[in-house]
Amino acid sequence: MKSHPPSVYIVDDDEAVRGSLRFLIRSVGLPAQVYTSAQEFLAAYDRRDPGCLLLDVRMPGMSGLDLQQELNRRGATIPVVFITGHGDVPMAVEAMQQGAFDFLQKPFRDQDLLDRVQRALARDAESRARLAARAEIRTRLATLTPREKEVMELITRGKANKVVGAELGVSQRTVEIHRAHVMEKMHASSLAELVRMVLDSEESKQNP
Amino acid sequence: MNGELQALLDACIDAVIIIDHRGCIITFNRAAVRMFGYEAAQVIGQNVSMLMPAPDRDQHDQYVARYLQSGTARVIGTGREVTALRSDGSRFPASLAIGRIDGHSPPHFVGFLHDLSGRRAQEAQRVSAELAVREARERLTHVARLSTMGEMTTGLAHEINQPLTAITMYAQAAERMAMQPSPDLGDLVEALRQISAQALRAGEIIRRLRDMVRNRQVREELLDLNAVVRELAVLVESDARNNNVQLKIDLAATLPPVLGDSIQLQQVMLNLVRNAIDAVQSPACERLVTLRTSHTGTAVEMSVSDLGPGIDPAIRDRLFEAFATTKPTGTGLGLAISRSIVEAHGGRLNWRANQPCGSCFVFTLPAVNGVST
Repeated sequence: MKSHPPSVYIVDDDEAVRGSLRFLIRSVGLPAQVYTSAQEFLAAYDRRDPGCLLLDVRMPGMSGLDLQQELNRRGATIPVVFITGHGDVPMAVEAMQQGAFDFLQKPFRDQDLLDRVQRALARDAESRARLAARAEIRTRLATLTPREKEVMELITRGKANKVVGAELGVSQRTVEIHRAHVMEKMHASSLAELVRMVLDSEESKQNP
Repeated sequence: MNGELQALLDACIDAVIIIDHRGCIITFNRAAVRMFGYEAAQVIGQNVSMLMPAPDRDQHDQYVARYLQSGTARVIGTGREVTALRSDGSRFPASLAIGRIDGHSPPHFVGFLHDLSGRRAQEAQRVSAELAVREARERLTHVARLSTMGEMTTGLAHEINQPLTAITMYAQAAERMAMQPSPDLGDLVEALRQISAQALRAGEIIRRLRDMVRNRQVREELLDLNAVVRELAVLVESDARNNNVQLKIDLAATLPPVLGDSIQLQQVMLNLVRNAIDAVQSPACERLVTLRTSHTGTAVEMSVSDLGPGIDPAIRDRLFEAFATTKPTGTGLGLAISRSIVEAHGGRLNWRANQPCGSCFVFTLPAVNGVST
């Protein structure tokens, strides 16, 4: 997996606001990329790139809300911090309902912005780590043989080796060997850990 | 006096009063009774001057005496408007015609009086109605300006917030940098430069806003219409941008000056530009609005053209009438007020079809030649 350092993406149609945001973000040593429109950002952004998005709600053409919807549709998980004007509270509410990370009303204190950016970056790192872990589990699951999968399914439901053997029509000894392979291939040190991995991967199938 | 004559006099709608050569009332008909509030018996034998307010009252005897001496009539046969005095002391306007009755020596005189107070009241009513209409129009102009302002305020508030946001962030970032052990002076200078530029931008927006809201007296001055358009462009730029419309400004290299009120003229332009921005919101339209100035020898022209769907022929005739609107939330006042402003400046505001499509609103103002702005 390629890994850029996390970046703050800034999308604002106002040159001065855009410039000042970049200036502020860079003053605390974070990389910042600026875009003048939602379209420009969509064209350039790869959802595998880590970071967070500072997004002006009100822009000509594709608005901040439109961009957020498009990102949701594309399955991008990048946290979005909306920047709203004075009368844009209803828009901010809508943005939050659509899963925005947070919003700020202009003008704001630099510390408020930087705090939110740091929290958004932390959230992004966390969710990327979780996604990576799930992907790893899925990779491991793919290495199991059909028989090993059957055994894993039954033992993670709490069934004893003897019961599993009877259900599958094999000896208890054979179950024990399959079970050892499963634990090894899944890098699981205990049955509890294996159960958690299976639950986690099932959950991620429902909510990718 | 015989009965026939009395009946005739009493049937008259106008007051008929006959006096002798001394001014004493001989006959006072029924209409006179109604008009003055005296019974005939109260006035017969009295001097007719009792029916007049000063100064006529004191001079009437002299008028009669002079006429009798010189034979020169001042009012006889011509008629005039006079003020008459009722028994209750109130006055009313009346037209008076006087005739000389021969057959007596010295002669008698007959006066016909027509009460004008009804007509006067009507006239006063008409004048006050005209005044009311004018006042209403002035109020409407102000209301229309305020409502245009209201629509623009949201956009302008946003517009003022932008430089404030930028200033805040540059200043805070600069402070953060300056606290570091070895700050980058180039970065600090850049931040300071941006701060002053953005402060000026905010000030400019506020200045324009203040000029627009003030309901001030019309101030005529020599104007360069190009400068008026340029100032307006600053105002409408954000509106256009928020609606994803491109503004093209195409100004004549030089223009003769015009006499006018720049704020009112900007209000006209603002109206036209906002209409044009609305017009190009249909999906198929090219989102371009052009502001253009030009001049002939005697007139300066300013036009706002769009590439929208144009004006439905059915409403072209009523385009400039008040309350004619095609917009769901329109007041129908914009073009009516715009035209009245332009006409008050001695100019004309018209619509014509734009090429290849859309509308072109053009106003012309008389050029003031021989001076420069």
